[in-house]
Formats: sequence, structure tokens, C-alpha cells
Amino acid sequence: MKKALNELKRHALTAISYMLPLVVASGLLIAVGNLMGGEVIEDYTQPFTIASSLTSLGVMGMGLLPPFISGYIAYSIAERPGIAPGFLMGLIANALGAGFLGGMIGGYLVGYFVLWMRKTWKVPKWAEGLMPMMIIPTVSSIVVGLFMFFVVGIPITWLTDQLINFLESLDESSRVVYGFIFGVLGHIDYGGPISKVPNLFADGLLLEGVLGPEAIKVIGGIVPPVGITFGWLFSKIVNKRIYTRVEEDAIKVAFPMGLTMITEGVIPIAMNDLLRTLLATGMGTGVAGAINFYFQNGSPVPSGGVFVIPAMTKPLVAVSALLAGSIVTGIILVLIKKRITDEEYESLQNQEEEETDLSGFSIEG
Amino acid sequence: MKLVAVVACTSGIAHTYIAKEKLIKAAEKKGHSIKVETQGTIGTEGKLTKKDIEEADLVIMATDIQTTGNERFDNKKKIKIATSIAVKASEQLIEKIENEILS
Repeated sequence: MKKALNELKRHALTAISYMLPLVVASGLLIAVGNLMGGEVIEDYTQPFTIASSLTSLGVMGMGLLPPFISGYIAYSIAERPGIAPGFLMGLIANALGAGFLGGMIGGYLVGYFVLWMRKTWKVPKWAEGLMPMMIIPTVSSIVVGLFMFFVVGIPITWLTDQLINFLESLDESSRVVYGFIFGVLGHIDYGGPISKVPNLFADGLLLEGVLGPEAIKVIGGIVPPVGITFGWLFSKIVNKRIYTRVEEDAIKVAFPMGLTMITEGVIPIAMNDLLRTLLATGMGTGVAGAINFYFQNGSPVPSGGVFVIPAMTKPLVAVSALLAGSIVTGIILVLIKKRITDEEYESLQNQEEEETDLSGFSIEG
Repeated sequence: MKLVAVVACTSGIAHTYIAKEKLIKAAEKKGHSIKVETQGTIGTEGKLTKKDIEEADLVIMATDIQTTGNERFDNKKKIKIATSIAVKASEQLIEKIENEILS
């Protein structure tokens, strides 16, 4: 059961990894276009501006998301023959208003259908060339496509609408709670597989025009590295050394990486003192999330770090959330981390690896 | 031992390369040679040659996503893990491999 779930997750992650550059480019195009006063072009026979063409291209790119996610999930499951029918299922999801979620489901359905065809359908030798070229893409598109149109689309469109209504109807106090939870979950493993789930959720909502979770995600991705840097600076001020020389060097790398929303730079630092660091950064991202969500800041761009703050709906809220979250992280770190002695400070030796259970992995073949 | 590895994480910009460093460090500390191929967002780097794969005693697949070229390892011994394991416990992983292959 767990293995099957891991498989499903692996396919989603594969699709996300192909999708990320598309989302970032499209989001930034929209942001830059909007800042320059661009609008989505409705009629291409009339003259239009450079700004409007950027905005329009970004919006087109966003529309490509469901086909992308569907196509690459199907690719991950069934390899090349999955791509074409996968993209088609994504287009159906677009047409039905089932968006991102619809694209994911379409990708899984058609991916496994194609895989099943590849494994079980036997054709005469002369027709083997036709299998990947004609039979698989056509048959799978018809079968899964009709299923998408008449069965899957309706409940998913309904679910998507319910979710959006729910998020839009949240009152102030529940926004603080949900913002906090989302902020914590989104960065609990510094960009690793756990945080990909809430982030996927945020990307899906962005496609439906709900920008709030995306802002929590972007700011939350910057808080841990900036917060740890703050912690280091605060520790100098209060004269309590909490980082070794090796860690200080890592912080100098993690900080600029963090500004561009690559949270992973903090991993080598966090690893040495995982629980305390997690507590501190978790509180920080939670506070930042709560501030963002409470004041209803939204981000039209899913990635890019501080460079997308000007494109957010409330840039001042974003900056305040970032600073508040980072200060919280920094203060907690100074308070709870152990003081480092001179000897430990100079030691170049990384700490020993933590005991990890590897019994679930075995050598095959 | 001669080891080869393929590493790929979801975003393909950070974990992949941290895992690569950890694997190399751990293998070299234990006196093994290792070559690591990364399949990041930028594309494949340090591609394993046919010779690398033929000579290798084991393939480590530290991948969170579907990677390309897996058919190259069809007849090889391999161990599949998540990149997070390589980041967290490369040395223990190498020890485990030592125990199972050399015994």
C-alpha cells in the first residue's frame, strides 16, 4: 500500500519537475507584463503593446499547466507513449474547468491505461510499428477521454469550486490559523518531498485565480535561510556563539540562495541540529504565512524569491511577513541553540550522521 | 568497489547536487571509487559511459522522480533510494552496500 502511494507520488513529482520552469517563466511574464500595464489580449487583429504581449504569453503558459502535468504524469508511468494522450487529457481538464486536479487525474488514468495496453495487447508482427504510433495514442485517448468528459470532469469541477469558495469564505481568525499551518507545512523539510504537497496545492489554486497560498509559499521559502542568517547576526549581538566556522560559511552561501527561494541551502546547517532548527524555522514560516494570509497578500508568481515581491498584490505585507518570520526564527535560534565553545567552533569535522533506518532498501538484480 | 550513481530530485536544482556531494564524500572516505550522474533541471551532467556502467559493481539510484536511460542498468545490481537518504545517510548507505556485496 505504502509502495503504491510512493509510486503515485513519484509520478506527480516527475511531472512537477518538468512543470516548474514553465510555471516560473509564465508567472514572471505575467508579473512583468502587469507591472508595465499589460492586459490579456482579446483580439489579435487590433494593435497591441509589448506589455500586453508579455502578459498574454504568461497567461497562455499558465493554460499549458494542466496538459503539462497530465502529459508528464502519463510519461512517468508509461514512458513515451503516454505523452500524447496525456497532453490531450490535460486539455480536457482545461475545457471542463477542472484545471490542475483534473489534469493530474487525467494523467494517472491515461498513463496506467497506456501501460496496461503496452503490457497486454498483442498485435501481429506487421502491426507492431502501429502500436506506439497509432493504436495506443488513439485508443487510449478515446477511452480515457470519454471517461474524462462524462464521468471525471463533473465531480472535480465541483470539488474545485467548493475548495475555492471555502478559501474565499474564511474569516480573519481562521485565515491566521490556516496561514500558519500552511506556512509551517510548506517548508518543514526545506524544499524536500513533504513540502512539495502543499506547494502543489498552491500551484493548483494559482491556476484557479486564488493567489493567497502562493504568497505564503514564496515568502515561506525565503524565511528559513534569512531567519538563520538573522539568528547568526543576533548571536553576534548578544555574544552567544551558536554556529561553527563551517556553518558560518554555509550560511554565507545559504543566504543569497535563500533570497531566490532556494531553501535547500539551509539543509547542511539544519542537519547538525535538526530539531532546534526545525522548531525555529517552522515558527518563522508559520508566522510569515499567518501574516500573509491575514492581510490577504497574493502572489501571481509561484517562484523566484524576493524578485517577485514587487509583483505581489501587497508587497508591503510580503516584506513585513518576511521580516517578521525571519526575526522570529532568528530569536528562537539564539534562545534555544547551545553555546559553541572555541574548540567546537574551529573543528572542521562535520558531525556524525544520524542513525537512519535503511532496512526498507535492498539491492536488486 | 566501483560504484556508479544516478541522482535526480524534484526541483532539480539543489537536493540533486547536495546528494551527489554526500555520495562522493562517503564513498571516498570508505575507499571506493564512485561516479555520479545528475539529472537536474539543467539536463544530464556527468553522464555515465558504457564503460563506467560495465565496470561498476553496483548502481545507486538516488531518485525522487522518473529518470531517463534506466534501461542502461537492466542487468546491473542496483539499490533504489530517495535523494533525502543520500543527503542524510550516505555513509551508512555505503556501509550497508559493503556488508551485502562483499559478504
